[in-house]
This record gives sequence, C-alpha cells and structure tokens, in this order.
Amino acid sequence: MNKYELVYIIDPAVEETARKELIERYNALITSNGGTVDKVDEWGKRRLAYAINYKTEGYYVLVCFQAESELPREIERNLQISEPCIRYQIVRVLDKRSNVKPRAPRPVYTPAKVETVAEAVQEEAAPVETEEEPVIE
Amino acid sequence: MSEDRGEKRMRPRGRKPRRKVCEFCVSKIEYIDYKDVNRLSRSVNERGKIMPRRMTGTCAKHQRQLSEAIKRARAIALLPYSVD
Repeated sequence: MNKYELVYIIDPAVEETARKELIERYNALITSNGGTVDKVDEWGKRRLAYAINYKTEGYYVLVCFQAESELPREIERNLQISEPCIRYQIVRVLDKRSNVKPRAPRPVYTPAKVETVAEAVQEEAAPVETEEEPVIE
Repeated sequence: MSEDRGEKRMRPRGRKPRRKVCEFCVSKIEYIDYKDVNRLSRSVNERGKIMPRRMTGTCAKHQRQLSEAIKRARAIALLPYSVD
C-alpha cells in the first residue's frame, strides 16, 4: 500500500448536490478497488491561476488515500472520462516528508569516559617525560 | 584561507555582498508542499518564472524540491505557467 494525494478541480457550474454526489462517487471508486480514503478536504471555489476551457474558477477537492500502485492509473482513467472534472493530479506521498532521514548512530562519549581516557594519557605521558629528561641532560 | 583572501581583495564597489542563506533550511522545512501557494509564489517572479538559486540563495537540495513543487502547482492551476 502506498500513500497518495489526489487533487481534482470540479466545474464550478455543477450544482452543490450533484457535486457532492460526484465526490462520493470518486471516493467509492477508491474504496471499491481495495483502497482506503484517509481524508477528503474540500478547498471550495478558488480562482484558477489560468483559464482552463474558458473557466476562471474551479472547485478544488483534495483526497488523501492509500492504495496499491495500480489504482492511481484507474482513477486517472475515470477522471479523464468524467466531464465535470476539469483537472486532476495524483501525487505519491513519501513517508520521508514527515521525519528526517535517520542517521547512523554516533558513538556517544559520556563525560566519565572522557575523563578516564584523559587521565590515562596523563599517566602515560608523565613517566615518559621523567625518563627522557635525564637522557637529554 | 578564504577569509584571508576576502579581506585582502578590494571590491570595486565597496559593499561586501551578504552570504545568502537558504530560506527553507532556516525554517527547517523537510518537504516543500505543492499546495502551499503562499510560499511557492515567493519563489516565482512576476512573470511566473522560477527564480534561480543565485537570486534567492536556496540550497541545491531545496531548489530541486522547490522546482518540483512549483511545477505540480502549475499543473493544477494553483500557479500560472506564465504571466504577461
């Protein structure tokens, strides 16, 4: 199962009841093919950034769903046929968006450990110096 | 080393250019959403073109995501392809 996001634009001329039916029908398309609808977010009427088929407005609907990888193609086929749907886009949502890619765990240096290492170094260094000094003299 | 060189070399026009910082790194954005029109429209000039990295200072990683997001937004008429 993959996560997808579907955005489609319905013709603003479609009546409210007909529009609701349409949204229901699209959702049913997902659920009847083994997908699950997570969220339906109706953005409502928005101005389009550019005219599509001489329409300057559109009713945006965002649907988040989970489905197998064959389903998006089937949905696209249906949306392409359906008249009132002006535009659609299905985007695969990666889990990566929510959390940072986990890094390899770094070795943790606890303060106690560092101290013991430092002490050991000092202990090692000290006798060496005392030994060397007489040689130089 | 680069700091030394920067001080010694004379700039023809006085003012030192400030180092641009990636806006998306600063606000710790991991994923640039194509639905976030407000943010995307800031990375587009008045003609609707995607602003280059040298203008905005966006890092390579985020610029890649950004261009993808803008193109997706254009496809569903959230952003214009071109403005005249």
